[in-house]
Amino acid sequence: MSVRNAFLGLLAQKPRHGYELRAAFEAIAGGGVNWDVKPAQVYATLDRLAEAGLVVCTSDLGEGDEPGRRVYALTEAGLAALRQWFDEGVEPEHQRDEFYIKLMVALASGAGDPHRILRTQRGLIYQRLHGLTTQRNALDARVALAQVLLLDKAIMHLEADLRWLEFVEARLGDIQRQPLPAPQVRARGRPKKGS
Amino acid sequence: MPIVETQNLSKIYGAGEVAVTALDHVSISVEAGEFVAIMGPSGCGKSTLLHLLGGLDSVSDGSVLIDGQNLAGMKDDDLTRLRRRKIGFIFQFFNLIPVLTAQENVALPITLDGVKPAEARARAAEWLTRLDMAERMHHRPDQLSGGQQQRVAIARALVADPDLILADEPTGNLDTRAGDEIAETLRQVSQQWGRAVVMVTHDPRIAAYADRIIFLKDGKVNDQTILAPRRNGDAATAAAPLQAPA
Ligand SMILES: Nc1ncnc2c1ncn2[C@@H]1O[C@H](COP(=O)(O)OP(=O)(O)O)[C@@H](O)[C@H]1O
Ligand SMILES: [Mg+2]
Repeated sequence: MSVRNAFLGLLAQKPRHGYELRAAFEAIAGGGVNWDVKPAQVYATLDRLAEAGLVVCTSDLGEGDEPGRRVYALTEAGLAALRQWFDEGVEPEHQRDEFYIKLMVALASGAGDPHRILRTQRGLIYQRLHGLTTQRNALDARVALAQVLLLDKAIMHLEADLRWLEFVEARLGDIQRQPLPAPQVRARGRPKKGS
Repeated sequence: MPIVETQNLSKIYGAGEVAVTALDHVSISVEAGEFVAIMGPSGCGKSTLLHLLGGLDSVSDGSVLIDGQNLAGMKDDDLTRLRRRKIGFIFQFFNLIPVLTAQENVALPITLDGVKPAEARARAAEWLTRLDMAERMHHRPDQLSGGQQQRVAIARALVADPDLILADEPTGNLDTRAGDEIAETLRQVSQQWGRAVVMVTHDPRIAAYADRIIFLKDGKVNDQTILAPRRNGDAATAAAPLQAPA
């Protein structure tokens, strides 16, 4: 969704070639290491946008002997779709968390040591936090504020993760004394009539 | 050789029924030039550990070795000298002397140690310049922001050219931005100037600047995490810090 909408916005700025669009997207998304888009995905996305009438594809003349290349431009409908995106909020990421599942599975199965699992996760997050902080502090906010703010967001999320881990560790004993979330026991077969 | 090491270090405050075990057989070691954070919940013994590392309080059991020397066996005069020359302290509330300028605050510890006033002032000016405080040299603490006051305190801790800096919650009284700057400065103290830094903090964001985190819980070492692999050629980088002006 973000890639599609970002493309609409980048084409609202000016018509572009596919490879140019890809480079422009990666630049605003914090670099190709942070969010890379494969060329195949770029063209698949552009095809879908063209089918929906949100962009149009034309060929430029090409320079010298070079063949013409496809250039994409935004349509009125595309601009409307972009405006709609701006008018809506973005849902925060949902609560599917691999670490949480790992901890629950360890508690339920008894096959993993929850304290150790927590410590391992804490260590990993601290390493990531160290890396992001180093990256952020190497940037000059006077010229690279956008990148700094993206790194700040990631840093603040990791801080929250660490606070949550601390909270879980402090209350692990209490969690272990409670029954774990388990499926509702249901009778097999068809529901009884009248119940 | 580690710059500071503890072996089964214990500290018990009080005796009998009111005895509090603040540290319980703690063995840690910090290499020259390393930046280590000590973390843990309030009351777990972080400040106690830092005080013992700096020879500010007596041990109940076990030992503290600075540069291989056991503090327990030292005469008071020798301990005082070692503290002045090998260790610099940084505190949460800066602990600057209000009536002195930044430069005078920084010069004070070496003046007390017998360095001539003019030279002490020159060394103070040099460290303040390295810490980006050249323009605030003649300001008194109440004319400086919290972050600037802590910079002065860092310059003061470094002026005697110690190998070890001990910092207790150095960002605890600062906002996020000033806290980040001070943590980055402490990283520079370790990486660029090759001094070992042991920093107590309860703030994960600040601890993440360190090379290694030691987690304390109920007076014991609970866990350790290495954030940055030790830089190569430690001995070389540690031996190459800026020389104090002759
Ligand atoms: N001077 C003292 N006398 C008695 N108890 C003390 C003294 N200093 C610290 N304590 C106790 O020792 C424990 C560790 O304290 P401290 O090292 O200050 O913890 P932290 O810095 O991690 O918050 C606490 O229970 C504290 O109450
Ligand atoms: Mg404390």
